[in-house]
Amino acid sequence: MSATPIIEVDSVSMRFGGLVAVSDVSLTVDGGSITAVIGPNGAGKTTLFNAITGVYDPSAGRVLIAGRETIVPLDARAWRSIFLYGIASAFLAAVFLNVEEIWLSAVTENYVYLKPFPWLEGVGDAGALVIAHGGWAALVGGVVGAAGRWAIWSRTRRTPEIVAESGVARTFQNIRLFPELSLAENVMVGMDRRMHAGFFASLFRLPNAALERQKAREEATRLIEFVGLGSSVDVRARNLPYGHQRRLEIARALASRPAVVLLDEPAAGMNPTETVELMELIRRIQGTGTTVVLIEHHMRVVMGISEKIAVLDHGEKIAQGTPTQIRNDPKCIEAYLGKEELG
Amino acid sequence: MGTTSRATYKPAGLLSRGQCLLFGALLLIPCIELLFDLGISAPTRFVLGFAIVGIGLNVVVGFTGLLHLGIAAFMAIGAYAFAILTCTIYPFQLGFWPGLFAALCIGALAGAFLGAPTLRLRGDYLAIVTLGFGEIVQDLLKNLEPITKGTQGINPLPAPWFFGLTFASDTPKSWYFLYLAILILCTILVRNLEHSRVGRQWFAVREDELAARCMAIRPDKVKLTALAVGAGLAALGGALLASLISSTGEPGNYDFQISILALCIVIVGGIGSMTGVIVGALVMVGMNSILLPILGQKLQQAGIGTTTSVYLAPDNYKYLLFGLALVLMMRFRPKGIVAAREEDH
Repeated sequence: MSATPIIEVDSVSMRFGGLVAVSDVSLTVDGGSITAVIGPNGAGKTTLFNAITGVYDPSAGRVLIAGRETIVPLDARAWRSIFLYGIASAFLAAVFLNVEEIWLSAVTENYVYLKPFPWLEGVGDAGALVIAHGGWAALVGGVVGAAGRWAIWSRTRRTPEIVAESGVARTFQNIRLFPELSLAENVMVGMDRRMHAGFFASLFRLPNAALERQKAREEATRLIEFVGLGSSVDVRARNLPYGHQRRLEIARALASRPAVVLLDEPAAGMNPTETVELMELIRRIQGTGTTVVLIEHHMRVVMGISEKIAVLDHGEKIAQGTPTQIRNDPKCIEAYLGKEELG
Repeated sequence: MGTTSRATYKPAGLLSRGQCLLFGALLLIPCIELLFDLGISAPTRFVLGFAIVGIGLNVVVGFTGLLHLGIAAFMAIGAYAFAILTCTIYPFQLGFWPGLFAALCIGALAGAFLGAPTLRLRGDYLAIVTLGFGEIVQDLLKNLEPITKGTQGINPLPAPWFFGLTFASDTPKSWYFLYLAILILCTILVRNLEHSRVGRQWFAVREDELAARCMAIRPDKVKLTALAVGAGLAALGGALLASLISSTGEPGNYDFQISILALCIVIVGGIGSMTGVIVGALVMVGMNSILLPILGQKLQQAGIGTTTSVYLAPDNYKYLLFGLALVLMMRFRPKGIVAAREEDH
């Protein structure tokens, strides 16, 4: 296994108004490893996950995935799109604000009932009118359109879909499956990142789209077997028992073939047998070359499988190390068991 | 065990079994009329038009989970685009088919344009904004008088043509078969979408938008596609209905009532189920334009019609029956007459 970092959290803070949920946390996850993030309730673990996956935008600091900041840059492509939006809205504003006059001079005045329409004159008249009267509308429309596109760009620089695109998949603490979809469909949604079928290929069921769907379905079946739910591919997700729903969520996350998968309390609500199976599953995921980061409260799971552990308390990272180091760290013992009474 | 399910898996057919049965029954209506003259194939043409609108709205409301209360605006846009591009008082004068296709495309574009500013709204807020759009489009059509002829409406509109068939007011059967064919085509194509990557993205956004985004799905794009498909089909339905009466009617015809009728078609039929939507159109529009008029006629013939008392005119009970249908449905089949996903494959 390579030891190059796949996720680098660089002094990230998350503030909500006056509440500091995560404060200046730095964390490195090595490629191919299993890393656990632990801490008491409210320590900011899930908030950290949300900041990594783009659900929240960090108030300070940055997150690097495979050495790159997953942010849409203000490059030539962004400028081109801002420019095109400006032009398009300038044109629309100039036409729509004068639509009645344009129609009168271009169509009504040139058309004699049932005679052939002089198209050149019509278009010419319309163009002349837009140029004569559309100046201000075009200017205002263009500025508004370009500014709007810029606002959209600046607000959606680091969204979950952009982070997911770069190979990060996750599960959720309170399971978020697609309840009305079947198991296979849930997993196929996870594969969406790797699919190519466009609108018209889907509309006319072109051979390549049908083949892609067939292959996706087969792969989904394999993945569902991989997490141990083999017999129920066509069952609706909401009819699954709780523990199975957690495993389906893992299958859905793996379906995008991510470089790293973030599991938010995968063992919550599982009985001891299921927990052992889960540990086994997480090791098999690591075996496929996928890096695993997990938040967990079951110390048996954490100590049993993780290679590195980071401990959060009150939004701050108080320790990081191997399971043995963490077990003997006085700060961690204090965070979990409370301070020793003095005197 | 997994291998058995893999072996039994078959890709979805062109139409589901329920849809085949339904279309078979619809094909039988004019055939039966060759024997007994029931006079219902003429009004059933309106059902077919509204079924297409319903299928469009179902893509938005049922598949993607966006509550849309202004679908009538897109019927109006379709009808007026069709009228302006085909009617002889305008210079464009396209034929029936190019006009219909253009109406579909213009409707889809309008759907995407009007949808773009609403992408961040959800639930009730989206409903209020779409309701507003519905009113604005009506007012636009009323006030752009040089273009839309204001409250007069545009007429005459061309009837369809199809190899060897005559389309006149006294040949309802050829209209019926053509409109049924268009409805079947729309059903097949939307069903293709439903069972493809596009449909899966719609469902994912409906079920859980955040989870979908974390799976690299862009909800903006997905919602715009749904809104464009829905508006395009509504425009197609609007154009077909306008061609049926050879006039767009006045802009006030495309009011909130029609949007609600379309929504009732989707909800009563079975939200998210295309078979259900067509059944819903049969129930809601059928009651309106087939059952009540025929009942009125019979009462008239028996000598106890409107001349005796307004309480005896069945048409006056229209909205009461709408309400009753909704109440009964909520009580006995809350998922609609045909519940979604019971009818797959």
